[in-house]
Amino acid sequence: MHDVAFIYLSLIALLYLWLFRRSPEKTRQSLQVAGKSLLRLTPMLAAIFGLIGLFQVFVPAALIEHWLGAASSWGALFMGGLIGAVAIGPPVAAFPLAGSMLAAGAWPAAAAAFVVSWISVGIVTLPFEAQVFGLRFALARNVIAFAAALLTGLLLGGLL
Amino acid sequence: MKTMAARPSHVFWSYVRAQWLLLATLLLYGWAFTAQPQRAAQALAFGISTLFSVVLLILAVMGLVGLTQVWISREQVARLLGHEAGLKALLVAALCGTVLIGPAYLIFPLLMGIRRQGARWAVIGTVLAAYAVKIPMIPLEIEFLGWRFSLFRTLLTILLAIPCGLILETVMQSSFGKNNKAR
Repeated sequence: MHDVAFIYLSLIALLYLWLFRRSPEKTRQSLQVAGKSLLRLTPMLAAIFGLIGLFQVFVPAALIEHWLGAASSWGALFMGGLIGAVAIGPPVAAFPLAGSMLAAGAWPAAAAAFVVSWISVGIVTLPFEAQVFGLRFALARNVIAFAAALLTGLLLGGLL
Repeated sequence: MKTMAARPSHVFWSYVRAQWLLLATLLLYGWAFTAQPQRAAQALAFGISTLFSVVLLILAVMGLVGLTQVWISREQVARLLGHEAGLKALLVAALCGTVLIGPAYLIFPLLMGIRRQGARWAVIGTVLAAYAVKIPMIPLEIEFLGWRFSLFRTLLTILLAIPCGLILETVMQSSFGKNNKAR
């Protein structure tokens, strides 16, 4: 992930250099906009990363696995989606968790709902999303994403 | 006399309203540090290390925000990602969602900037729905979950992304006359 991020950043830095030759004025303006939005977001980001830390320590992975267990029912599907929605963490972290669920005999549908919901539904980041897009968008998007996660899980359960 | 007393408290409350999430987090940490100092310190360390793991990404996204806002005109955004672009805009959105990496909340500001420049809501919704597919991370997913699981999940997520975006747009526009804040 770090490597890819480094490539992204390098590409954008190159883009800035290239554009600077075309128009130093506009490029400086771009940097200003970038700096300003970074400053404006800093308190929110600090909060988000603080919450991620609290979540990680006070709701450890082992507990999530315990909640999901090896159950294979509609309840497990819903639970998978719900835990994915509340959990916060890097997308990559969802895969080993879902893998251990599958290994423990969980219904693939529940594991899939968990993965999709983990990445696309964010209860903890909801306030941040509402601040950026407005409350209506944040609520609607998360509800739709949750429904999509359950649907993906169900369809996947049928396919496998 | 009264206005002078009211003013600082007004400033205080507007700050609380703007930064309530940060304040709530600080309160939670305050509680955690008094109740379980060791685990609280662990949490703080984990949060900071997570921040460092995405700090390059944050800088990259902000750099992109600066570029899109200054170099890409409203007309261009509207032509490429607005209603006039039709299905093409949604396909571009689905593709972008699958290619971009990192936690979704990092690209919220970027997406809102594009929205203000004239992209339709369905585009924003589709990017975020397709975001559950991580093309750069598919090898990792296969390793943990198997290729069948990974393949089907990826296909289903991409198929559902555009419908999700369109539903979201319908919800956003249903309020059009009343309290719509089409900023």
